[in-house]
Amino acid sequence: MIAITGYGILCAIGNNADEVLCSLQQQQSGIGPMQYLESKLRHLPVGEVKLSNDRMKALLGIQDAAPVSRTAMMGAIAIRQAVQDAGIALEGKRVTLISGTTVGCMDVTEQYYEEMKTDDGLLSLPMNNDCGMSTHDMAVMAGLEDVETCTVSTACSSALNAIILGAEMLKNDEADIVIAGGAESLTRFHLNGFNTLMILDSERCRPFDETRAGLNLGEGAAFVVLQRECSGAKAYVAGYANRCDAFHQTASSDNGEGAFLAMHDALAMAQLTPADIQYVNAHGTGTPNNDLSESQALMRIFGTQMPEVSSTKPFTGHTTSASGAIETVICLLAMQHDFTPCNLGWKKQMAAGITPTRGHTGVQLNHVLCNSFGFGGNDSLLVLSRKCPPEASEYSADEAVVELARDEIHSMEDLVALKDFVSPIESRRMGKLMKAAILTSCRALKAAHIETPDAIITATASGMLEFSQQFLDDIIRNDEQFLKPTLFMQSTHNTLSSAIAIRTKCHGYNITYSHGSDSFAWAMRDAKRQIKSGKAKTVLVGCFDESTALSNDFCKRAGKPTAPEISAVAIILASPNSSYK
Amino acid sequence: MDELIYTLKTQIIEALSLEEITPEDIEDDAPLFGQGLGLDSIDALELIVLLDKNYGIKLKNPAESKSIFASVRTIAHYVAENRTK
Repeated sequence: MIAITGYGILCAIGNNADEVLCSLQQQQSGIGPMQYLESKLRHLPVGEVKLSNDRMKALLGIQDAAPVSRTAMMGAIAIRQAVQDAGIALEGKRVTLISGTTVGCMDVTEQYYEEMKTDDGLLSLPMNNDCGMSTHDMAVMAGLEDVETCTVSTACSSALNAIILGAEMLKNDEADIVIAGGAESLTRFHLNGFNTLMILDSERCRPFDETRAGLNLGEGAAFVVLQRECSGAKAYVAGYANRCDAFHQTASSDNGEGAFLAMHDALAMAQLTPADIQYVNAHGTGTPNNDLSESQALMRIFGTQMPEVSSTKPFTGHTTSASGAIETVICLLAMQHDFTPCNLGWKKQMAAGITPTRGHTGVQLNHVLCNSFGFGGNDSLLVLSRKCPPEASEYSADEAVVELARDEIHSMEDLVALKDFVSPIESRRMGKLMKAAILTSCRALKAAHIETPDAIITATASGMLEFSQQFLDDIIRNDEQFLKPTLFMQSTHNTLSSAIAIRTKCHGYNITYSHGSDSFAWAMRDAKRQIKSGKAKTVLVGCFDESTALSNDFCKRAGKPTAPEISAVAIILASPNSSYK
Repeated sequence: MDELIYTLKTQIIEALSLEEITPEDIEDDAPLFGQGLGLDSIDALELIVLLDKNYGIKLKNPAESKSIFASVRTIAHYVAENRTK
């Protein structure tokens, strides 16, 4: 069994668990006008953490005047809280820190982007959309510089997937203690990106309400301490699932297929029936699309026996990649303090949707569900239980995997073969790395005689750098106007794995590792774990990165080797016991 | 109007990265979404940016833009009537 023995949180409604609990119980939202973020989009309300960067530095005892990422500082604060809450000694233990984030230290990158192009004094700052660097910085600031670190980047489900990975690693005896969660600060990059998709509400968000008109962006961090032991548990991770909607890069399917499959799997793992679940913390962003799709998925699972459901995003805003961990901690607070959080501000029943709860006190919650969905249809969720769940053995002794096929691209000329698989109209929005990822994946699958793999696992150090840089350039050049959604959509690192899922109709496990040069090793480790646990018989592993003139210029100035314009490797792995060998 | 229609076609091709398509390939009255060119909801968002950037037209709701984006001709009519630059 996987026990949660400690947690830490900071978000718009509090800088620690006590403050968050108080705001939830008193129904006080943290959404309002922007105080710390400097953006032209001032008409959009946001859920900011009520601490300046200087105050965060002081809390962490950082004396240095050099810029430090707000994302990394929030993460470090939450990690420190979680370790202290668990009251554990880390010495002599195998400890792994797993963080989920979408754009890493983008807050620093966007602030110094223009100066970084010429000022060699800023070369130590993250220039490559490097998520792994933010996890490394968090570990150092939290006093955990010697622990193993890993970064998961699956857009808004990142932190929840970090927790799932932690549970998997403990079950497979790869660590004694895992500290898992996520962090994301508000940035002009994210705010403008969501704005291009026209899914931001200029009023406080109203999830599951007929009048809902979009989401409010928030920020924050939360981490949980996971251990195998039963003593000192605040709750247990009884079940979890990661499924892919395989429908669209930025929209959920009408029937919520990915979410439905994930809830089904997680309940089965927890050996529970839908009737056992007393509360669901919904993803509930407040966009017309998410809330309708999620409602449909909930209705398919629960039928007429709908448990209490609420979205807590009217309190916190949508904290994007941190939301899965922030809402897990909110579920833990609800379980420990016997209440269900209110779906704040709800008034009007939506058509074809669920009716959310206004919240109750005095309810003992034995089993709750925490939903977390992301762009690309990355649908993940946890079942949390008050009592120790029945033990289920998951892993076989058989560790061997076989490689069925491999395909590689290392030059732009190789991309002409894409037209064998994708028409020009289909590829109109694809950046060069997307083209390379699709082409290598299609060819590797074809060589292995597989149409749909059971799981898709990708690794990328900096994702689609060219589009990310163009989007940043446009933000600065156009003064936060006339920005292209196509560039933003492909700046999330999981855009590659989800595009492959959409193309191969793969609703299975889907995850992206973005941990610098270790990304590929983490992806391979996970692929082997998926096969070993019997969860997948065939896994597509992709390792995709690109460079730009600017990124290579940074490398030259920093005295580091430059990177190829494009590099893509797709590998098909399978269980030796499968019929595919 | 014909000149505006032609200009719009070149702008649409550039904004949506429609490789291998020329203005002559797009019929003035052919549907842009679903059938015809087969554009989707993200293309609609790109067209909203195009109208904002080039003609100072601010469309607030993607759903309401559906009838405007029916064909190049309907876009041209809307632009002619509502442009601020």
